[in-house]
Amino acid sequence: MSLVTIIWSMIASACLTLAAISFLTWGRNREAWANLFFSLLAGGTAAFAFCELGMMRARTPAEFGTVLKWGHVPTWLILVSLVGFARFYLKAGRTWLAWLVCGLRTLALVLNFLVGQNLNYREITGLRHISFLGESVQIAEGVPNPWMLVGQMSLLALVVFLMDASVTVWRRGDRHRALAVGGGAMFFMFFSTVQSVFVFWGIIRIPITASLSFMCLVLVMGYELSSDTLRASELARRLQKSEAGLHEIEERMRLAVEAADFGVLIRDFTRNEMWASDRWRALLGFSETERLDLQKIFERIHPEDREAVHLMVERARSGYGVYDADLRVVLPSGEVRWVATRGRVEFDGAGKPAFARSVAHDISRQKKAEDETQNLQRELAHAGRVSMMGQLASSLAHEINQPLGAILRNAEAAELFMQDKSPDLDEVRAILADIRKDDQRAGNVIDRMRGMLKRRSLDKRPVDVGELVREVAALVRSDAAARHITLELTVAEHLPAVLGDPVHLQQVLLNLIVNGMDALNGATRGDRRVWVTAALDGPKIVEIAVRDSGPGIPADQLTHIFDPFFTTKPEGMGMGLPISRSIIEAHNGRLWAENRTGEGASFRFTLPIAEQEFAK
Amino acid sequence: MRDAAPIVYVVDDDGSFLAAISRLLRANGFSVRTYSSAHEFLAQREADTPGCVLADLRMPEMNGLDLQTALVQSPNPLPILFLTGHGDIPSSVRAMRDGAEDFLEKRAPKEILLDAVKRALSRDSRERSARERQRELRSRFDTLTERELEVLSHVVRGQLNKQIAGDLGLHERTVKLHRTAITTKLKVQSVAELTRLTQEAGMFPELVQTLPKG
Repeated sequence: MSLVTIIWSMIASACLTLAAISFLTWGRNREAWANLFFSLLAGGTAAFAFCELGMMRARTPAEFGTVLKWGHVPTWLILVSLVGFARFYLKAGRTWLAWLVCGLRTLALVLNFLVGQNLNYREITGLRHISFLGESVQIAEGVPNPWMLVGQMSLLALVVFLMDASVTVWRRGDRHRALAVGGGAMFFMFFSTVQSVFVFWGIIRIPITASLSFMCLVLVMGYELSSDTLRASELARRLQKSEAGLHEIEERMRLAVEAADFGVLIRDFTRNEMWASDRWRALLGFSETERLDLQKIFERIHPEDREAVHLMVERARSGYGVYDADLRVVLPSGEVRWVATRGRVEFDGAGKPAFARSVAHDISRQKKAEDETQNLQRELAHAGRVSMMGQLASSLAHEINQPLGAILRNAEAAELFMQDKSPDLDEVRAILADIRKDDQRAGNVIDRMRGMLKRRSLDKRPVDVGELVREVAALVRSDAAARHITLELTVAEHLPAVLGDPVHLQQVLLNLIVNGMDALNGATRGDRRVWVTAALDGPKIVEIAVRDSGPGIPADQLTHIFDPFFTTKPEGMGMGLPISRSIIEAHNGRLWAENRTGEGASFRFTLPIAEQEFAK
Repeated sequence: MRDAAPIVYVVDDDGSFLAAISRLLRANGFSVRTYSSAHEFLAQREADTPGCVLADLRMPEMNGLDLQTALVQSPNPLPILFLTGHGDIPSSVRAMRDGAEDFLEKRAPKEILLDAVKRALSRDSRERSARERQRELRSRFDTLTERELEVLSHVVRGQLNKQIAGDLGLHERTVKLHRTAITTKLKVQSVAELTRLTQEAGMFPELVQTLPKG
């Protein structure tokens, strides 16, 4: 087989292979128009290579002419697909130039079939044998067809189009593509244009070898395309890898969420959809397939919590962005469950809520434990009050018997007055008024005692400090008198109300005052005093101090006095101060002890003022 | 002075009870004066009026027991009756040991209260007479000279003139003269009467144990 046949066949087969590959690629991805045009370009080149081979091997001028005529069809295909490829691959090139190239070429193709033997020759007069690559091949001799100019104009227009497109791509910054694709196409197109001009106008006598340039063009384009494909596959590989990583992260998240026993709820505002993990559904008593909506979820929330949760979610949705709440859920079975939920709302560019993501978990056990702790503390506080009332029992009985005694004596006196023939009614009226007054007095003492003895949870509200101090003073007054102790109360004027439970605060104050009085047991008669003072300590805090004129707290005991069961009193339980401290801490305050310089101990505690007072 | 009407002095820091009990006592025919503290009472009471004190045990500053102590040491030791809202044993024991007339709860039955007041008043009247009599006796003994007191102390021990003269280094006659002076000054007829009077006046307390009961 001759070298020419081998080379041209190889060109054709290489181009066909590339065309097939590229066509298949387009087949898989119909949007890869560049691949389709490349495939047509390569196919056209292969066809043209056969035509060239046919011309070189033509035996008669007529055969040469016919092959050349049909060779214009692949040429048309090559040009049009090159324009298409440039447009889609480079995304450049002026539209009018593209249309000009295609129009001229189509016109040339039409002329090819209408005018003369073919576009290039009006008539082929003979064939000449020339030596090419060491063998004899045919070239034509005849009258050139002037309409050939149209075809050559189209080639020129294509070169201009490609140049313009390359410049655009260069300016865009993609210099590699501009040079390799634009420049390459331009170079090989220019080369084959020049060759065809020289050959067909009879200036030089060589066979047409345009398919060689076209193949080079195809190879350059093919290289570019395949490197793009390589890059794409590299990207795909990386994507896969990162997807695997993402999956790993997802797995870890899922594991963490499951381990923490968290339920997850995601709400898509734009699509108005909700997705919840199985755990979340189980938490709120929804089945795994039940469709969720906001209404259904709210129906599960305990009626007492619904309003607050609604407000909180609304606030998060209208821009605050986060919510966080412990709430009660009532399951269809009637079981009540405590659920802690924390959520975040994501907003789109326009500031509208896009997604809300939240986690929820069961905190019923913690809540139960908290409740139990609170119950215990409440019981302990109550026990403390009962024990303190026990200590004060004798004084309190005295406090009650005082008005009762007065009532009895007044009643007896009134009876006597009424036995008179003309009783002094004014006196009797005065007696009745006094009886009423004393009854009220006894009732107050009983109310105070009952308040202290009642089992109750912490019920915070604004408490007037002056009233608090006076109430407690009323409870211990009689005891203080019996023990020759002077109680001095100093409450600063215009003190704001503090936030607290009046009974619990009374208990603390009572405990501190009784302790102060106990500290005076060994003191001489002359100076047995307990001072109670209340004053502002900063704008938001009220400090109440109980000081005594006793010997003070021994230094080695100062750190232990708040320990449970630490006591210095023979009948003491050692729970008074620990209870008092826990009460004050439950009020967000502080309770501490110090020795006054010189003499006596001082117990101080702070309480936050009630918020509405502060707001004033 | 002895015929002045007895007064019930009520001392209590509780104004309401003070008013109530004074009404009851007045309605029962007693003269009443009220004081809101022990200090006020001690400062205002008249030096020597008959009556009794009705005091609250539990009062600030000076309490009932303090008042009792002050009262016992005063020249007019009125009987004291304690009232308390709610009695406690140690206080009542101490009060009674120190000679309180009674120790009553404020809500004690009226009869018991009134009886206690009456009892206190009669005790005051009795003690007042005793004190009066003693004062009178004392004034009689005050007229005795030192030597006569010395002789008397021997006489009430039952010694004879001869023994007394021996002990004191006097003539028996001189002793006889002293004895006559003593019986004249003390207005007594017999040794027995002399001994009883000496005892009544509380003379020679160290001898009380050995004296034959008159």
